[in-house]
Parts: sequence; C-alpha cells; structure tokens
Amino acid sequence: MRMPKPSWGWASLPALLLVRCMAASRVPPYVLPQPWDVAIEALRWIRSGDLGRQVGASLAREAGGFAMAVLVALAIGTAGGLSQRFRAFASPLVSLFMAIPPIAWAPLCLIFFGLGYLAIAVVIFVAAVFPMAVTIQEGVLGIVAGQVRAARTLGASPVQLLRHVYLPASLPFVTAALRIGFSQAWRALVAAEMIGASQGIGWMVAMGGQVGNASQVLLGIVLIGLIAWLAESLVFRRVERRYQAWRTP
Amino acid sequence: MYYMLASDTSARATEPFQFARAAAPTTRRGASFMVDGMGFGYRPGRDIFRNVTLKARPGEFVALLGPSGCGKTTLLNLLSGFLAPHAGTVTIDGRAVRPEMSELGYVFQAPNLFPWLSVRENVRFGLRMAGQLDPDEQRRKALQYLDLVGLSDVADELPNRLSGGMQQRVALARALVLEPSLLLMDEPFAALDAITRSAMNAELLRLWSTLGQTILFITHDVEEAVFLADRVLVLGFPPHGLDSEVTIDLPRPRDLRRTRVLPGFAELCDTLLQRIAGVMQARSTPASFVEQESVQ
Ligand SMILES: Nc1ncnc2c1ncn2[C@@H]1O[C@H](COP(=O)(O)OP(=O)(O)OP(=O)(O)O)[C@@H](O)[C@H]1O
Ligand SMILES: [Mg+2]
Repeated sequence: MRMPKPSWGWASLPALLLVRCMAASRVPPYVLPQPWDVAIEALRWIRSGDLGRQVGASLAREAGGFAMAVLVALAIGTAGGLSQRFRAFASPLVSLFMAIPPIAWAPLCLIFFGLGYLAIAVVIFVAAVFPMAVTIQEGVLGIVAGQVRAARTLGASPVQLLRHVYLPASLPFVTAALRIGFSQAWRALVAAEMIGASQGIGWMVAMGGQVGNASQVLLGIVLIGLIAWLAESLVFRRVERRYQAWRTP
Repeated sequence: MYYMLASDTSARATEPFQFARAAAPTTRRGASFMVDGMGFGYRPGRDIFRNVTLKARPGEFVALLGPSGCGKTTLLNLLSGFLAPHAGTVTIDGRAVRPEMSELGYVFQAPNLFPWLSVRENVRFGLRMAGQLDPDEQRRKALQYLDLVGLSDVADELPNRLSGGMQQRVALARALVLEPSLLLMDEPFAALDAITRSAMNAELLRLWSTLGQTILFITHDVEEAVFLADRVLVLGFPPHGLDSEVTIDLPRPRDLRRTRVLPGFAELCDTLLQRIAGVMQARSTPASFVEQESVQ
C-alpha cells in the first residue's frame, strides 16, 4: 500500500513567520518590526489611499514596458526561429544584452529620458525582451518540421499554416516566455524605482529605508512578493496547465 | 502461429470492408504520375539521381525498394514537390507537382500528427483547410474514415494516448479522408511490429481496392513489396538512379495467408533479393565509390 506523500509546502510560510517573530523579539521594533507592526503600517497606507497609488504606478510601468517587450520579443524570436541568417546575426547581440544586468541601464535611461514613466519602462523593456526572445526562438525552432509538411500536403495555405500549425504549436512556449519575461520585468522594475522614481513600490521601499521606517520597507517587500506570486500562480501557471495534456509524450 | 495471425486479421478485415463499400462509393480515378529525365543532388557534384524516368498508370500500386540511404525519401520529396529537381520534370496528371495540390496524399515515415488536436480533429484537418463541407459534415466524414482504419472508438483521445501503430493508422485516415488520387507512402509501417504490420498491409490493400488511388509505397522489406504491389522498382545507390523493375503478377485479391504460399511469391522475392544484392555489390566496387568521394 502506498500512502500519498504528505506535502510540507503549506508549512513553509508559517515557519518563516515564526522565525521572524522570534528574531524580531530580540531587537528593537524600529530595526525589525513584528508582523503586526507591518499590518498596522499597511492599514495606514490603505486608509490614506497611498497604497493603491503606489501599486498602481508600479503596475502601469510594468504593463507598458512589458507589453512593448512582448511585441518586440515575438518579432525577434519568430524571425530568429524561421531564418537561419537572422539568428546568426542577432544571437551575439542577444547574448551580450543578456549578460548585462538590466538595472545597469537605469542611470543611462534616467539621463536620456529624465525622471519619469518612460525611463523606467525602458529599463523593464530591456530586462524582459531578451529572455523572452530567446525562449520564443527556441520554441519556433522546436516546431516539428514534419507537422508543417503534413499540414502542407493536407492543403494548408501559408496563412492557414500560420494560423493552424505555427500558432497552436507555439502557444506553450509563448506562455512560458511571458512568464519568464514578466518576472524579469518585475524585478527590474522594483530595482529601477529604487534608483530613480518619485512613486511606486520600489520607491516606497527606498524611501522607508531613508527615513528609517522599517515597517514601510517590509510592507513594500511583501507587496513585491505578493504581486509576483499572484501573477505567477493565478495567471501563467493556469494557462500553462492547459497544455500539459498534449505536451507530455 | 502464422496461421492464427492470418485468420485473425482477415476476420477483422471483413466487417469494415463491407462498411467501406457502403460508405465510400466515390471510387475516384487514380492519378498518373510521371518523372521524366529527372536529376537531383543535395550538394553540387554529388548527385543522388541522374536521368531518372518512371511513371505509373492510374490506379497502379507501385512499390519502391532500396537499401537505407539510397534516396527513397528524397525521391518521394521530389514527387511531392517539397524538393525541386535540378533537371527534368515531375508531373501528376500532366501538371507540375506541388505539396498542396489536392490530388496528393502523403503518409510520412513518422505519423506527424498534430498533438494539440484530438484524433478526430487530426483527421478532419484537411477538410477544414479546404472548407468545402460544413463543420458537421466534416466531422461525420472524419469519423467515417476513422472507422475505416478501425479507430472510431478513440476519436476523442489526444494522439499521445495512442500506440505507434494506432498513430500511423490515424495518419493514414488523415491522408485518405481527402480522397487523394495519388498516395505517397514512406515506409509507413516500418516502425511497427510484424503482427501489426501484416494487419496494416491487408487493411491497405482493402482500402486501395475500394478507393482506387494510385499508390507509391516505399519499403525496404522485399516480402512487403511483393505482397502489396503491381510493380516493384529497385533503387540503386547514388548516382545510379533506378536499377530495375519487376512486375508482380500474383492474383488479386491478395490474402495474408494464401498469397504468401503461392510458388510465385518466393520466386519474386528471390528475384528482388538478387537485384538488391547486385545494387549493394555495385556500390562496393572501387570505381564508383572513388568517383563519388573524389567529386566533393
Ligand atoms: N536534407 C539533406 N541534406 C543533405 N543530404 C541529405 C539530406 N537528406 C538526405 N540526404 C542524403 O541523401 C541520401 C538519401 O537520403 P534519403 O533520406 O532519401 O534515404 P532513404 O533511402 O530514405 O533512407 P532510409 O531508408 O534510411 O529512410 C543520404 O545519403 C542522405 O545522407
Ligand atoms: Mg527514408
């Protein structure tokens, strides 16, 4: 008889909280505040309406930079997957940009575009576009040539081929690319906001650090993690699960 | 053992056969194809085919036999228009060939099913592309052809839930549903075990006698070629092209059990094996070998 393996995943978060509480009880609250201090801080931000503003500002930047990155990555990735010449031309550039941490571009973007929406959106764009392009290119390369040929002998025109073979065959890795791109963009966003923004979650964290408000810092961190986790598990994982049935051999 | 196998498959075959006759009365005329003075090579100076000429009558079953690597798949890709010949012409019913033309059906060495579509939707794919029937009619017809290959009960499964033999049968139904007048088959049953393969051979002959297409069937199995075909072509090693052809005058309808014990069967197999041995020997003579290598 085999018993289902108990999963200890549920216990990790409470354990973390417990350790934190214990650690927090040994230092003054302005260094490491207790969870309830953070909760009170959150309440304060929510009441004043500031929390919504900061989260909204961050999400707007993420949306703008990420959307641009998706469009460009789709173009680069598809071209790289279909054309051997384009792949040879673009891959050194892509590797070069992949090797540079995206946040390193932030100062340049700030000089170029000034403090504001555009500068940060561009950093996000740079962070997300290359990993997504690579994932999409690998996916297009992996589309089985035999399936394309089969579709052609079944009478598919070039447009039908795109619509009925390339598109469905690419949905799984496009979703994977979106997930990777979103999380890369999110990390870069927070970092960029800490350097050069006057609002947003990253700014909240940086500001809290400067004025010595540890609760605000922790609130920001919780928000960053929460939003990333929500996007991952509520959106991307769910979409990916739809392909599991036909992807497993 | 052999007897059991044979009677088993013929018993399986009788029921769908009647169905096939009832459901697919549109016996379409087979297409004729013609390869004339065709030359081809993947790289300059290393020709695979030189001046190959072959043709098939409408409705003829032609088998193409040759050792591995001699260019059988390449020939089919030329015949289906995926590759363009460097010299000569390839025509179907007098028209230059293209992969998309409706006369053409192609069953590949691998099933190449679309994994995101159900079995039925795979079979329906070509009908959907053509868009001539309304969707309900397309589904009905797809089911009918699935029934023909004995797979209507897995119509709603995804392809990755099927065995290799079943997948290859789906691929066959997917090509047949468009009622092509020329069916190209590239070792379609090579990956199957001997039992399934014999059954598939019998099934193919049954479908062919009902639908009446011209078939070009590639194999490296001599017995399979003799059992199926009206005519067997033996392909030489590059750049020799076609080596020889043998007419198979065994009576039809052929039967797994009875056809193989006819005295002519063993004789024809022997003739073909000798031809193939000749091909292999020709390859290992230094002259042709050195010529091949030095050209590159
Ligand atoms: N895309 C290609 N580019 C260059 N050479 C190729 C290509 N495809 C096949 N060849 C060469 O052409 C020759 C014939 O290949 P082909 O696939 O037609 O053989 P085949 O008779 O189908 O073999 P098998 O029975 O193993 O399937 C081989 O020597 C192979 O190396
Ligand atoms: Mg082959």
